[in-house]
Amino acid sequence: MPTHLIETRQLTRRFGARLAVDDLSLQAPEAGIYGFLGPNGAGKTTAIRMLLGLIRPDAGEVLLFGEPLAANRRALMRRVGALVEAPSLYPHLTGRENLEVTRRLLGAPRAFIDPALEVVRLAQDAGRRVREYSLGMRQRLGLALALLNKPDLLILDEPTNGLDPAGIHEMRDLLRRLPKEFGVTVFLSSHLLGEVEQTATHIGIIHEGRLLFQGTLSELQAAHRARLTLGVGQTEQAVRYLTAAGWGVETRPDGMLSVSAVTAEEAARVNRLLVGQHVEVFHLSPAQVSLEDIFLTLTGGPEAARRAA
Amino acid sequence: MMPLLRVLHAELLKLRRTLAFRVIFVLPLLVALLQFFALLRTKKFGADFKLWETLPSNMLAVWAVFMMPLLITLETALLNGIEHGDRQWKHICALPVPRHAVYLAKFVAAQGLAAASTLFLCVLAALVGVAVMRLRPELAHAGPVPFGWLAKYAGLVWVAAWLIIAIHTWVSVRWSSFAVALGVGIGGTFFALFAASASAGEFYPWLLPMNVFKDERLTTALLLGGAGGALAALLGCLEFVRRDVA
Repeated sequence: MPTHLIETRQLTRRFGARLAVDDLSLQAPEAGIYGFLGPNGAGKTTAIRMLLGLIRPDAGEVLLFGEPLAANRRALMRRVGALVEAPSLYPHLTGRENLEVTRRLLGAPRAFIDPALEVVRLAQDAGRRVREYSLGMRQRLGLALALLNKPDLLILDEPTNGLDPAGIHEMRDLLRRLPKEFGVTVFLSSHLLGEVEQTATHIGIIHEGRLLFQGTLSELQAAHRARLTLGVGQTEQAVRYLTAAGWGVETRPDGMLSVSAVTAEEAARVNRLLVGQHVEVFHLSPAQVSLEDIFLTLTGGPEAARRAA
Repeated sequence: MMPLLRVLHAELLKLRRTLAFRVIFVLPLLVALLQFFALLRTKKFGADFKLWETLPSNMLAVWAVFMMPLLITLETALLNGIEHGDRQWKHICALPVPRHAVYLAKFVAAQGLAAASTLFLCVLAALVGVAVMRLRPELAHAGPVPFGWLAKYAGLVWVAAWLIIAIHTWVSVRWSSFAVALGVGIGGTFFALFAASASAGEFYPWLLPMNVFKDERLTTALLLGGAGGALAALLGCLEFVRRDVA
């Protein structure tokens, strides 16, 4: 088995003068959920369309399951399910009939339909026409279409787009279950940072067509170290002692100190040092840098960069 | 061949509860009603009037020059319109189905609907004739229904229409707007009225189904309509296969 279910090598695509995807080299490992994160217009959908063979790259190549997509598209797509942006449904047909259309196209067994409906909890409403479905139900039916052929890899483009909070919650639960219960690797794009933070095991951050980071969430957070927030009785002495001990210290406008310590051991050492020097410590908390802060720093948001500093 | 059959099987299901399915019955019915009342209101038939020569040829002529191009315009726009609605192309083209099968299935489905509608027109022509024979005693001895003639010319009209089907399939796959498809259909039929008397009318796509009734134009109509239609469908397919799917 290949190490990466999805791999792109220097993938590039232009639309006229605009470079939509620039030298993109993705590596999505097997199992788990890969969150492909980027602001609107970053190139996520273009990249996903190239992963599915809907558009051709100007340069570079896509490998799925270790094989080049260009040479084996049909065979590889048998192992892939996809939902690109809003689900593509026939509103005049029922939910079950929509699945039947895709089943016929795939040449899949009829017995695949009921399990797909059950996974997305639409078995009860399968006989209703899709035009009567809510947005959340349509999105779940779109996911059922993607799951119909029992894929090894699921590629989803903004699967929670347009959903209300309840719908987002439901979709998030569903996505989390897929790798555990069905062994499906999920590759999902989103501009919702919190969404990716709560579901993904690996993430890739894309901005203006370029990949800015790729790895696990902990690797990302380790690369953008958290800081310790400290409340002390004698601020000047505390700054002096901590600086002398090699910590980076900043005094915040609210009088609290921000110290470049990350781990619990480091926090304990800071505390020990100050108490040992008779500095009163009344507040000590690790300030987690959220993914949002890191993301905005990476993508150049000035305010966020200041916040994350 | 198998992928094409699979896609056609799916096309059949997509037509459920659509206007596309109803149109194949409505348009021939309009032609039949027109012909039925025209015959019924004729005050006196000449001694040389032959019901089974006049009725089927009149109905097929109206069909070939006007109703069939209209049917093709509507059917191809509806068949492909359901794919534009929720941008289903991206879903279909991301499946392990060859793109050429997706396109050719649209062409073959339109051919099938046109064939079914033309067949229904022939059945109606026979029914109208039989009904008129009962209602107008002077035509009671008009003779048997010329099923052979009807089948032959219905087939020729249908084959000659393949080029229009290929043009409309490409237009309605290429553009999501119903207005574009309708504009091409109306424009094509409108100019056919002027081209009919011109020598260039022999080669005008929207006149080809009508040209099968003229012996001197029959070969061109079948070659250009049938073989040309098949070739045009392949060219459209080639363009579809290479195109980016939005």
